[in-house]
Amino acid sequence: MEREFLPKIVSFLCKWCSYTGADLAGINRLQYPTSILPIKVMCSSRVDPVFVIKAYLRGADGVLIGGCHPGDCHYQDGNYHTRRRVAILKRVFELLGLEEGRIRLSWISASEGPKFARVCNEFTEVIKSLGENTTKTTIFL
Amino acid sequence: MNIVPNRGAKISVKNGFRGTILEFLRNSLEKGCFDGILIPMRVPADDSYAWVLVRDKPFLDNANPIAPIVSVQGAKALTSLTRKGGGNFNVAAIMKPCDIRASIELSKLKQVNLEKITLISYDCPGTLEMSNYIENPEESEKIFGSLLDGDVWDDKFTKPICQICDNFSFPACDLHFALLGTENGSIYLIPGTEKGENILDDLGIEYSEDLSNWEKKVIELIKKKEKQKAEKFELVKPTVEGFDNLLKTFANCIGCHNCQSACPICYCRQCYFDSEVSKPNSDFILLRTSKRGGISFPLDRIMFHTGRMSHMSLSCVSCGVCTDACPVSIPVADIFSYVADKTQRTFEYKAGNSTEEPLPMREYRFDELLEIKELVKDADGQD
Repeated sequence: MEREFLPKIVSFLCKWCSYTGADLAGINRLQYPTSILPIKVMCSSRVDPVFVIKAYLRGADGVLIGGCHPGDCHYQDGNYHTRRRVAILKRVFELLGLEEGRIRLSWISASEGPKFARVCNEFTEVIKSLGENTTKTTIFL
Repeated sequence: MNIVPNRGAKISVKNGFRGTILEFLRNSLEKGCFDGILIPMRVPADDSYAWVLVRDKPFLDNANPIAPIVSVQGAKALTSLTRKGGGNFNVAAIMKPCDIRASIELSKLKQVNLEKITLISYDCPGTLEMSNYIENPEESEKIFGSLLDGDVWDDKFTKPICQICDNFSFPACDLHFALLGTENGSIYLIPGTEKGENILDDLGIEYSEDLSNWEKKVIELIKKKEKQKAEKFELVKPTVEGFDNLLKTFANCIGCHNCQSACPICYCRQCYFDSEVSKPNSDFILLRTSKRGGISFPLDRIMFHTGRMSHMSLSCVSCGVCTDACPVSIPVADIFSYVADKTQRTFEYKAGNSTEEPLPMREYRFDELLEIKELVKDADGQD
């Protein structure tokens, strides 16, 4: 019997908001898929585009970047820079015909445990509909 | 051309364009406007050009302000000169518009100090491909000479990236030699900044009549280049769009990172792709083969190119040194130029256009790019 496809979603979560939001989701015992592989970063702007590209090309089915809501950044304006960076990264992906839909930026605050669970559920469904990342089976990278 | 200048000084041509520019430089060295001049000079082996900082007038005899090839990007030379600060010497750098644009980007990135530097540019006819030049320098010099003397600058022998360059005239420089569309054996010298105006005043050069003839010719050529650019991008698009095509295009890449080390914009002293972090151990590599069944070496070539695109394309000036540097003839510059054109449009930014425009990654607006975040609606309609 073939097992159902469970995507791997590499998630970069900012320490101050999204990661705490994820904790809250856990404390509240909210259900979300095990597809999320969280990586704690001090700020969403710490996520170099190369981290995302690396995850994508090494076979991650999706990449989630979670940061504080605009205006709420612990470091004043980190997430505004994240937004510009992700915009450029998505543009590059689009131009190269890579699947930019596998990259997602979400603003999740420390109090939004339910939102974290919902984003994870939704994004997992989106990735499931996209199917497995083909880079996983590419030899000549 | 970003701003249309309204006045310039008329200079009569003696010994061709090159001779005229050299004569101006000699004069300005003599009058003490500059302490040194950064200018391309043919190397003793005669098969290439190098940037030389000239302090003594006689050395200018061997210099060539309009060099047919570019072995090192001018901005790189300026970085070496000023990375530890501007110093006390006034230096004039005579460079192509793309060198100047890269210098401006680097000055924003704090890698070049333009305080004591006077940037002098000229209408650029393009440059020749390095490999062709090295094969037959004398023949190439002849081709380039006739190109420069020709009435209409025919770009069929120039580098592909030069054929699609629409920034060949009047960058944000201090002084600009207007070579196009000039009549009766004279060219214009146009000041772009106060610094440039002061130099013309010091040299006692008078301003003269309108520049309409030059302007008309430049706009005409820009239109032609824009058309060629659009056509070229149509050709590049299918070679990089789609993962399979991307793999095919970079299939020959030997992972030498020459494009990165030649690139003036890639200034980082320690690049991620050269660091130890990017070199995994054998266990990890074997792990990566578990699902694929195998993995090719050198590792991570696509990651290198896409990573570089997302790092530096916002400042890419499309100078083409990356293609010259590529040992396996991948048209790196065409691809990066194509990507850069689109990414810079996202922020309505043009690399190297002016010293005032801030780098897109240095600033932000509160209410922009709202579309890149997929909206998730709460039950109460809140995002």
